[in-house]
Parts: sequence; structure tokens; C-alpha cells
Amino acid sequence: MSIGCRDLRVSAGGREVVAVSRLDVPAGETLAVLGPNGSGKSTLLRALAHLGGAARSGSVLLDGRTATTTELRRAVAAVLQRPVLQRATVLDNAAAGLRLRGVRRGEARHRARPWLDALGVAQLAGRDARTLSGGEAQRVAIARALAVGPRVLLLDEPFTGLDATTRTDLLADLRAALDRQRAAVLLVTHDREEARALADRTALLVNGEIRQLGPTAEVLDAPADQECATLLGFTTQLPPALTGREVLLVARPERCRPLAGSAPPPPDAVVVEGVLRRVVPLGGAFRLDLDTPAGSLTAVTTAVLTEGPGDAVRVAVAAADLRACR
Amino acid sequence: MDVLGEGLLEALRLLLTGDEQTWEITGLTLRVSLTATAIAVLLGVPVAAALALGRFRGRQVLLAVANTGMGLPPVVVGLFVTVLLWRDGPLGALGLLYTPTAMVVAQAAIAVPIVVALTAAALRQVDPDFLLQMRALGATRVRALGALLAEARLPLLAAAMAGFGAVVSEVGAAQMVGGNLAGETRVLTTAAVLATSRGQFALAIAFGLVLLVIAFAVNLAVTLAQHRTTAPR
Repeated sequence: MSIGCRDLRVSAGGREVVAVSRLDVPAGETLAVLGPNGSGKSTLLRALAHLGGAARSGSVLLDGRTATTTELRRAVAAVLQRPVLQRATVLDNAAAGLRLRGVRRGEARHRARPWLDALGVAQLAGRDARTLSGGEAQRVAIARALAVGPRVLLLDEPFTGLDATTRTDLLADLRAALDRQRAAVLLVTHDREEARALADRTALLVNGEIRQLGPTAEVLDAPADQECATLLGFTTQLPPALTGREVLLVARPERCRPLAGSAPPPPDAVVVEGVLRRVVPLGGAFRLDLDTPAGSLTAVTTAVLTEGPGDAVRVAVAAADLRACR
Repeated sequence: MDVLGEGLLEALRLLLTGDEQTWEITGLTLRVSLTATAIAVLLGVPVAAALALGRFRGRQVLLAVANTGMGLPPVVVGLFVTVLLWRDGPLGALGLLYTPTAMVVAQAAIAVPIVVALTAAALRQVDPDFLLQMRALGATRVRALGALLAEARLPLLAAAMAGFGAVVSEVGAAQMVGGNLAGETRVLTTAAVLATSRGQFALAIAFGLVLLVIAFAVNLAVTLAQHRTTAPR
């Protein structure tokens, strides 16, 4: 089953926080909605499931047809950012979604158990859910949603607050679990790596609007405008005034190399000059903050710089590492 | 000290030999107070849910009213119920004054604010996203609310027990609307007051002991229930 929306608008406190004219997630596909904090990601997710009390207009579609709240309730399962578990055992929590849909306890437990296994928490089945770590609780929350066998699965930043190892493991387990069913999956996240690991396509949401939408690898590598560039980590931004080009050029700071002394720049590189404001050690690398006539600029280098704050520094970015933005 | 010691012995004898009058009074006490508590729970939990979860004007004021109501003097409730049920009163035609029903009404009125205030507090302690998450899993509004009440079952039980504890031990309202009629509306508290005023201290102590046993039994039940549901299975 596919989920989508047309002209979906959500207001909160008299302000429009989400305005999405069109979005479609076909069955079997995972779409990531990538956006900075406060961009309206969670609001969009909730609006798609008709959850919460925010004022909304427009329509949510299931299989291309405008869906009612009841139809959405049956089709959709959503995992919230923070795992909200019940005062019960892990197994009963995993079975809770089914129980809430009227499945008898015995059968619900029976159907939930394989999902605990798929998410790697089967050994915790008998534990009190309130004694779980954050990562374990999130795994149980995801198993609970998957156990329902939803035709649409909505994930609201399910990896937030997990340590790096736990997160990587969970991403792998979730990917495998999602492959087992043909649900339309919408993942809301602010993390590019999560989108890269899970999503076929990615939408960039900025200020409640979808700025870019396409295959994940393409979208993550080609920001359309300055805000998307910042969101995607292209935080070294070279305005036309600095480069003499017609458009804004952006690059990842780790692709910007300071030029030593009077060394000539690589042939196709764009070179900008600035005054070194400070050097921030990043553990194995250094972040250089430069002041240029057109604003500040950031570069990351592993080389040990001879220049100090106040010195003039040249930074080169290879043409292949530059992206042109509107 | 002698009076107390002899009183205790006599009380134990009364209880252990199965004094019919004592047990009859105990039975009525439990019947009236448990019924009143049940009514208070049925009325109070939905009100508390609306106050705890709803978003409407005056919610805070109503919560404050419920909190104030927790300290409602039983005598004042007894007075109002008496006036309502008085022969010439608004509900006088029902002929309920000096009946166990009148006592149930008065005690329910005492217990409702306690149940409302404690239940509202209990529901507000559950994760604020709980209902949303239940809905997000496909629960209907009613099922989600059921899950919320189940989640807060221990504090809800405590709220009901607090209501019961308040009404089983109150004397003012029971005396005023029940009239302490032997064999009809005499409960443990009113019986204890009467026995004391007559100088029948052993009898009064016996009634007091039964009240203490009831209180202990209630608390033991709650404690066991809490232990059972918090221990990992």
C-alpha cells in the first residue's frame, strides 16, 4: 500500500509549520525526510497519520485515494522519537500494538515474538520493559510497530539518543527487518547517514517545505540551495563575491585544503583568501575558521598549519568537490 | 490504663466469639463504604481523565476545586445531603433520609473529589506521549484510553483506596444522614461514638479495632498488588 499527501498544510500557534504540496511513498519503498531541527519533520509525520491535535488541511492518500482517519489508523503504525513503553514485560510490549488492534493476548504474543528476534531483543522477552536501556527500548518499540504488520510504517527519528555502536547495529537490524515486509516506510531524520543507510529516496524538508526530492545518493550529493547545502554538510559556502562565479558554490569543509606558503593551487581548483580567525582541534584533524571579505568560511585539514590566528591563509577547493547552488 | 487494657481484652473476646451485632455493623459498614467508593470511581475517573487530558477553558480551576474537595469536611457534606433529602427538601419525596442509600450518597460525595484529584494526578504522571503512541499503533480513542488507565492502574488503585479509607472512617456524614439507627444505619464509626458516649469502652474499642483491621487489609491488598505488578515476570 502506498501513502502520500496532496497540499498538506499544518498550522500550530497561528503559524503554518508544514506545507507539502505533494509526497508519495510507494509500497516497499523507504523514503527519508531529512530536515534540521524545527523544520516540521515530526509534524509532517504526525499529519500523515492524522495523529495529534494540530490544525491540518489537505488530504492524505492511501493507494492514491483520500484516506479517512479510521483507514489511516488501520494501515499505519508509527514509532515515536522516544520509545514509550508500557508497564509490562518486553514481550507484552511487543504484542501491545496487536492487542490494541483487538488481537487476543496469546496470539498477539505469538505473532510478536519473531519481531523481537528480528530486532535482536528476543532474550529480553521476559524482562520488565522499564529496566531496558535506551537502545533496547527503541528496539522493542520498533518490534512493536512491525509486529502489527503495518502497510505503512512511519519512523520519527528512532535512532536519536543512541550511542554510535548501538545505532549502527540497530540500523542494520532495521534494514533487514524492513526487507521482510512490503510496507511503505517514511523515516524522519536529521541524520544523513540514516537516510543513506535506509532510504531509497530522500526528501529535504526546510521550513516545512520539501525543497528537494530524489534518489538518496543524488539528493545527498547535490544541494539545490543554500539551506539544503547546510543541511547536507556542504557548510563551506563561497558566495559569488568571493569566487567571481555567477552562483553560490558550496563544498564540504573536509574537501577544502589550505595551501601551504606560496604553493600553487591545483589547476582546476577555486582558491579563496582569508584571515585565519581560529584553529579548532578535532582529534586528528583541525577545523580552520577564516574571515573573508564575504563572511566566514570553514575548512578541515589534517595538515599541521604553520600559520596562526591573524595570518592570511589561502584555501583551495577542487572543482569536483564544488556544487553550484541557487 | 486499666480501662484500655480491659477494653482491648473485651474487644478481642467480642470479635473472636463472633458477636452478632458487631459483625452486622461491620457488614453494613463495608457495604455502604464499598458501594460509595465504587460510585465515586465510576463518576470520578472519567472526570479526572477529562481534567488530566482535556484542553478546555477552566480546567485548572476545576482541578483546584477537586483538590480543595479532598479536604471537604464530612459534616458539611452530611449537612447538604440532609437538606436535600429532608422531608420538605428537593429530593424529600424519595424518602431516603436515614437509610443506607442516603449514607452511600453522602459518602460518594466525599469520595468523588478524592478520586478525581488523585486520578488526575496519576494520569498526568504517565508519559505525555503515551496516548499518542497508543493511537500511533492503531488504537481507537477508547482502546488508547483503556491502555492509559491500565498503565496508571497502581495509582488508580491507590486513589480508590484513599477514597475508601476516607469514607469508611468518617463519622459526621454517616451520623447526619444515616441517623445511627440500630440494625439499619449503624456503622462502625457511629457505633463507636455511641458506645464511647455511653461509657461502653470495650465495645467502642472493638469497633475501632475492626476499623483498623479493615484499613490494614486494604493497605495490605494494595501493597501486594503493587509488588505483584512491579516484579518482573
